[in-house]
Amino acid sequence: MNQVSATKGHMNSKPEGFELFLLRLRKKMVSIDPYLTVAGIGLWLFAYWVLCEGLEIWRFTKLPGPVAISKDWFSTTPFQGISIFTQEYYDHIFVSCQRILFAFGLATGLGVPLGLFMGWSRKIRDYVFPIIETLRPIPILAWVPLSILLLPGFEGPVIFLATLASFFVTTLNAMLGVDSIDEEYFRAAGCLGSSRWDIFRHVVVPGALPFIFTGLQISIGVAWFSLVAAEMVSGDLGLGYLIVDAYMNNVTVPMVIAMITLGFIGYFSSACVRTLGNTLMAWHVKELAQQGR
Amino acid sequence: MAGKSHKREQTGALSIKNVTKIYDPSGVNVKAVDDCSMEIAAGEVCMIVGPSGCGKTTLLNAIAGFHSITEGSIHLDGDLLCGPGKPKAEQSAERMVVFQHGALFPWKTLQENVAYGPTVQSAMSAGEAMEKAGQMLAEAGLGQFIKKYPGEVSSGMARRAEIVRALINDPKVLLLDEPYRAMDALTKQIMHESLLETYDRTGVTIFFITHDLEEAIFLGDKVHVVTTRPCQLKKTVEVRIPRPRSFETQSSEEFRTLLEEVNEAVHEEAVKAFQAGEREMA
Repeated sequence: MNQVSATKGHMNSKPEGFELFLLRLRKKMVSIDPYLTVAGIGLWLFAYWVLCEGLEIWRFTKLPGPVAISKDWFSTTPFQGISIFTQEYYDHIFVSCQRILFAFGLATGLGVPLGLFMGWSRKIRDYVFPIIETLRPIPILAWVPLSILLLPGFEGPVIFLATLASFFVTTLNAMLGVDSIDEEYFRAAGCLGSSRWDIFRHVVVPGALPFIFTGLQISIGVAWFSLVAAEMVSGDLGLGYLIVDAYMNNVTVPMVIAMITLGFIGYFSSACVRTLGNTLMAWHVKELAQQGR
Repeated sequence: MAGKSHKREQTGALSIKNVTKIYDPSGVNVKAVDDCSMEIAAGEVCMIVGPSGCGKTTLLNAIAGFHSITEGSIHLDGDLLCGPGKPKAEQSAERMVVFQHGALFPWKTLQENVAYGPTVQSAMSAGEAMEKAGQMLAEAGLGQFIKKYPGEVSSGMARRAEIVRALINDPKVLLLDEPYRAMDALTKQIMHESLLETYDRTGVTIFFITHDLEEAIFLGDKVHVVTTRPCQLKKTVEVRIPRPRSFETQSSEEFRTLLEEVNEAVHEEAVKAFQAGEREMA
């Protein structure tokens, strides 16, 4: 018995806090997962290099390979104008992120309550749903001319388009989230003497939350997509604008740098939404854990 | 019937008179309940037994106020719950339901779940409710799990917690819709003993739907056998086994005789239901 405790070291008592973090980190390091991830990325980078610079296959010569990209991206005097040391790079990133934050915030602030009310009240759904379902299929870029006519300046249309796309996704998911709640929870709440407002607070909102967060992860992706598309058409700063501007000026390296940056930022923002969701819905995470997921 | 609660006089007498319920799903009239009458005395454990899909849940739903009735009336302690002019009863904490698949709110801990009723009814402050909830859960043997979510505990514990959630509201009638249906036999035994112990302590009227005949006789004072759809009262068997009961009761002579009696009545209905190709409503 003593030998077993000795080998387990400081794990006589259940690990908490930082100890737990170290334990989990250690477990992760000895498993194959992180190494597979690294190997995957390495393989992709290698294939990219082979196509663009190694073997210079066909039209891939027109694209900058990883060597050309990293030469510019990480140098203090980039040949084609954008690197992590140039202020311009961060200006573009900052502007795009600012727009996304605003658009996503607005879309969520409008979409979640509307979706919840639509799910909860038959009347509201009957009034609003047909309108939303007819507007939703219109591609975001089809709204560009209308948004330029409607809203002054550059920022207005860009943010409007990102908000719109995100709004539809969020609203629909919130509404479906309410639909997904089992009728028995409503009955149980009714039995226990809840008012309509109690039911909204204690059943509708928490019950729809998993769906809402799934929707939010999709919606932030959609917001980015619409934002970049909008920036390409009518912007003066931002990562989307950078891509188009680079293409117009025949410098391909900033174009690819901007794309990769978008990838990272997009991943990060989705991860933020996911983490927020997991924090708010500890019950859901634990339930899934019980099922072995 | 032993061990009545000293805090409440006998309440919870249900009177179901000539209740008929006709559904109209997809424009085809479905008569779920037809002229069903039964009397449930206050403080009695009343078991409803019948084949699946015969309309027993409809009866429970009518008492709880989830569905309306087409004809007839239901009274609780002489007050009209639903009847002519008032087809649907109001949902109320007087008639608490424990659901078949369990309806503890997954987003609240067990303690928060149990405290929910008194808090929203403003019967107690939130703090008091949480304390009482913790107490009652501990009495039910769940003291260690009060801060856990329903997704983290076993179904047996969740079901017990749900019963505590119902009882904290001091209901007149406890309506149970096949609550132990999805459990293995061993968990069921524990559940039965727990329920009997609770009943001996509180004396609440229990309206229990089941298709498990042994469960019905073991727990009940009266077993009402109902016919296949449309639901009507076919036979009432009185269970005179004295309380408190233990699982040894199940091997007694009296128990076996009663089981035979009930079985005969139910079997006939089960065969009819099977032949009619009833789609299980559960």
